[in-house]
Amino acid sequence: MRAFDESPAIPLWLGLPALAAMLGALYMIFIWVPPEATMGNVQRIFYFHVPAAAVAFTASFVGGIAAILYLIKRDGRYDDLSLAANESVVVFQAVNIIMGIMWAKPIWGIWWTWDARLTSSFLQVCIYAAYLVLRRAAPVDGRAAICAVVSILGMADVPLIYMSNRLFRTQHPSPVMGGGEGSGLAPQIGITLGAGMVAMFLLWWCVVRLRRRIARLDRSLEDLTRRTHELVEERM
Amino acid sequence: MDNLNWLFWGYAVGWTLIFLYLFQIGRREATLRRKVADLQAMMEEKWKQ
Repeated sequence: MRAFDESPAIPLWLGLPALAAMLGALYMIFIWVPPEATMGNVQRIFYFHVPAAAVAFTASFVGGIAAILYLIKRDGRYDDLSLAANESVVVFQAVNIIMGIMWAKPIWGIWWTWDARLTSSFLQVCIYAAYLVLRRAAPVDGRAAICAVVSILGMADVPLIYMSNRLFRTQHPSPVMGGGEGSGLAPQIGITLGAGMVAMFLLWWCVVRLRRRIARLDRSLEDLTRRTHELVEERM
Repeated sequence: MDNLNWLFWGYAVGWTLIFLYLFQIGRREATLRRKVADLQAMMEEKWKQ
């Protein structure tokens, strides 16, 4: 009997649509959609900058809800999912911030400013980086429960990031969707953003599946190592 | 057209980060699979003895 699932972590039914969505989104971003009137070509960063943020928010909620379920049910599978989603928050939020910086320099003339949106986004990366450090440092027995609490705290930062440019005056642009009167996107820009969202979410799904598999393998390895030690001690 | 290089670097850095991460976890999964399989085979061997 095998201690792990031998099927590929990223199956074809997910990998192929993710690849197709990515290529389709890149075609739309660089060829199909015209450049934005005031910012020019650099505005095209928006089509992956916003989806990366949306993915980071979703991952944060998935990780937080899985952490709550772990605390209720004490099932290691929820801890695996929480870990996978939380690690992806660091990656996708970092991508969001880096792409934002690359847009900010030519448009604002500065790389970075400590406004509410940028600071709360940076804080999210710090919280989840702390989660990953804690994951390695905490004792094995209480590790999942301690990390679940940090994961729930991280999830609480998401509404703060989302509302930051609604509640405060920020350097970051005001919301272009759901921002009240005058907000909204031109149809071609909206469709291209939608394609970017689909591509980024499919890619994230691949990442989470693969990372969750690693978490399961790690648990199997810990379990097998413990059993090996017990067996050796029995024989001695 | 003057800000094309920023667009290029934005996508280059963003995508490199995502794909490096994907590559790294892919390799880690393969290594762990091998380790678990080896350990399991060793356990079975010991059990038979």
